[in-house]
Amino acid sequence: MSSLLKAAFLFASLNLVSIASAADILIKNAQIVDGQSRNVDQKTDILIKGSMIVGLGTGLSAPANGRVIDAKGRPVSAGLFNADTQLGVREVGSVADTVDSGTSNEHITASLQISDAYNPSSVAIAYNRSLGLTHSLIQPSNGSGIFAGKASVVRLTDTDAILVDAAAMVVSLGEAGSELAGGSRAAAMAMLREALEDARDFSKHRESFARGSRRDYSLSRHDLEALVPVVKRQLPLLVRVDRAADIERVLDFAEKQKVTLILSGVGEGWRVADKIAKAKVPVIFDPINNLPASYETLGMRADNAKILHDAGVKIMFTGMGWQNTHNAYLVRQSAGNAVANGLPYHVAIQAITSNPAQIFGLPGYGEIKVGAEASLVLWSGDPLEVMSNPELVLINGEEYSLESRATRLRDRYYTRLINN
Amino acid sequence: MRKRLPRLIACAFVATSLSACATASLSDSAADPELVKATPFASTYQAPSSPPTIIRDATLLIGDGERLENTDLVFEQGKITALGENLTAPEGALEFNGEGYWLTPGIIDVHSHMGVYPNPSISSHADGNEIVSPTTAKVWAEHSVWPQDPNFEKALAGGVTTAQILPGSANLFGGRGVVLKNVPSITMMGMKFPDAPHSLKMACGENPKRVYGEKGGPGTRMGNMAGYRAAWISAAEYHKKWTDYEESVAKGDKSAEAPSRDLEMETLRGVLKGEINIHNHCYRADEMANMIELSKEFGYKITAFHHAVEAYKVAPLLAKNDICAVVWADWWGFKQEAFDMVRENAALVELARGCAIIHSDDEIQIQRLPQEVGKAMAAANLMGMEITPAQAIKWITSNAAKSLGLDDRIGTLAAGLNADVVLWNGNPLSVYTKAEKVWIDGALVFDRRNPDQNHTSDFNLGIISPEGDRP
Repeated sequence: MSSLLKAAFLFASLNLVSIASAADILIKNAQIVDGQSRNVDQKTDILIKGSMIVGLGTGLSAPANGRVIDAKGRPVSAGLFNADTQLGVREVGSVADTVDSGTSNEHITASLQISDAYNPSSVAIAYNRSLGLTHSLIQPSNGSGIFAGKASVVRLTDTDAILVDAAAMVVSLGEAGSELAGGSRAAAMAMLREALEDARDFSKHRESFARGSRRDYSLSRHDLEALVPVVKRQLPLLVRVDRAADIERVLDFAEKQKVTLILSGVGEGWRVADKIAKAKVPVIFDPINNLPASYETLGMRADNAKILHDAGVKIMFTGMGWQNTHNAYLVRQSAGNAVANGLPYHVAIQAITSNPAQIFGLPGYGEIKVGAEASLVLWSGDPLEVMSNPELVLINGEEYSLESRATRLRDRYYTRLINN
Repeated sequence: MRKRLPRLIACAFVATSLSACATASLSDSAADPELVKATPFASTYQAPSSPPTIIRDATLLIGDGERLENTDLVFEQGKITALGENLTAPEGALEFNGEGYWLTPGIIDVHSHMGVYPNPSISSHADGNEIVSPTTAKVWAEHSVWPQDPNFEKALAGGVTTAQILPGSANLFGGRGVVLKNVPSITMMGMKFPDAPHSLKMACGENPKRVYGEKGGPGTRMGNMAGYRAAWISAAEYHKKWTDYEESVAKGDKSAEAPSRDLEMETLRGVLKGEINIHNHCYRADEMANMIELSKEFGYKITAFHHAVEAYKVAPLLAKNDICAVVWADWWGFKQEAFDMVRENAALVELARGCAIIHSDDEIQIQRLPQEVGKAMAAANLMGMEITPAQAIKWITSNAAKSLGLDDRIGTLAAGLNADVVLWNGNPLSVYTKAEKVWIDGALVFDRRNPDQNHTSDFNLGIISPEGDRP
């Protein structure tokens, strides 16, 4: 190992800040990448005071006692959002004791609220944060009924991480729904219909139910209670569905039942893109998927994102592949591949920042503007390029370490290697 | 028939050998069951004839660590014949202007389950794990390969020209792996890489003990080790019996009686004879060290550790024993033994002067292996190791070829080697780059500009609508 490399390594080690800190920061000469229309070649200064962006422009003055970071034209994006992970509820996939993502308890379906299990100290959270992910929708995994429970929005901070406890009610239709409902996707639909009818009835007759003078319901009291906001259109129903026919069916169902939908999966979404757009239903999917993994995803294709966007569908991304929890930050690689397959670049950025911010109601996050929260990442290069890395990660104005358990392991063995 | 007989009989004596007697055909030998066994399932692949081709002024990542700018590449009759500046086109050559394009050797994935775990991934198709006993060295992955798996053509569009198809990792000995050329074929034999050695998949750690813990064992890592050792003890005995027999026959002993064949033992004997390469699924550093000890106890060589998440912890040991570390760029966390991942794993193996390889083990990642290389390279550069795309591309080309025993044929852009070539529309490690054209043995097998001419699997025909194919 050359002394030059050793020096570079030591330098890198000394630069690691391991404690979150909130000081005023001026990021000079940044290329702002937030998916909004603006001149991307323009160098912009970003002034951050406390948790907020307070200035945006050129030639801004450095704050007193604050830090100045010269981005030298490198991109600054909002921290990334992955719309389908199990961060904080799945530590080691095969170690059941560390996995809280779902339950086989048949008395707990819609009433499961995944934020109740969320652990912000998960090693996977610090790791993904150090690589540019700052927010996520945590989706529960399927349990014993068609309802998996309530998905929650978190930001990847050490405390006060839960932003929205009940962001959506997750339900599986299609093949997964069929399995949960006893062998037919039609049975899953029937269960959904009955559950919503029961929730409506329950919401109007709580007292007679409590007296025991109401008819039997298909779900427990708590599960019904959890579904009341769905039938009152206060909580979207997040439906996992892939087959074009199933998508059409659920769009029709939601219109008749007067519930707000988000679709997740949408492997064949491109085949019914116009219908999804017309219903103004946003979708969550991993744009990297292009294989017919099942008979309900025979039409899966690499330009699904482009076709959906062209039709006017609002898109949010997850990924990459099945590593969407431990490598949730790689949602940017999935987004980059969507661009490689025709999706406009700014839309790919929106899909992993501002779109989920709008849909899940996170004012302040997702765009880079005065008054917005300072949840930002300074990148070594294009945030969608796999060869780029974060150089600065801020959440709500606090700087987070670029170190992780993985870099600690790396450094330990690197040092041994170069000293031998 | 009579003329062929002496050679065919000789073949029968080496029935366990892989490469001997590759020309004996079933029809010639059908009369004699002993002869039928000699060369089963041999490759029937023939490189199609193709015009000479020259690609001019491209950026070449040779595959051996070198990079050449503004360079021409020529191939004829399936072989690379020249690379250099301002080369003369062979007569009748197809010419491509490679300005702004990059050329690499065909990408090699040394860990794929295409064909054995095809799509749709329904139970009818799940043919990759013979989960009936912890030791199934007798099974051959090639017998499960479904050539119509629609994954093959997607991998080809990602520049993958060669793939090693392995059985799964449920068993201590999972069975033989096979190297396939990524070409359309109705039969597996039509894809089989001619004269490529078989591999034997072994598996350490959590998978075998999880699968067999309540089915009679092994239920622990020490149980795993006892299982390997018991098998190798039997294999050593079998090896000796057959070697004694073959020596007697060679000395003209006409009374020598052939021991009975045992498929399980034939595979293990192939390893002991150095004809079958060990590709060992093994995550943890301490287990890799144990497996190296095991190989020395029984006198065989380990070619590669796959999914070697902790390779960086024993990188010098792997280098010293000439064992490749086959790794993902960044997968982790799905099992306890995959907890200590570092993104710099491949680079740290390289730093120890070892052989690093990036594999997919995945139908999505196989379509973009250079991106995986790009991530691993960038992580290494971030910490101050200086690794260029030209060096990093070795992880999916020449190093991969070496681990398959095929570096004399593929993995490098060099005169005399197979013309497995990929033309990329930019730096192949970028998320935005795509393979424009892919040649295998000089034949154009994928052309992004002519989608109608690209092969598609039978499975895809008319499955979305009667007239339309799966995209």
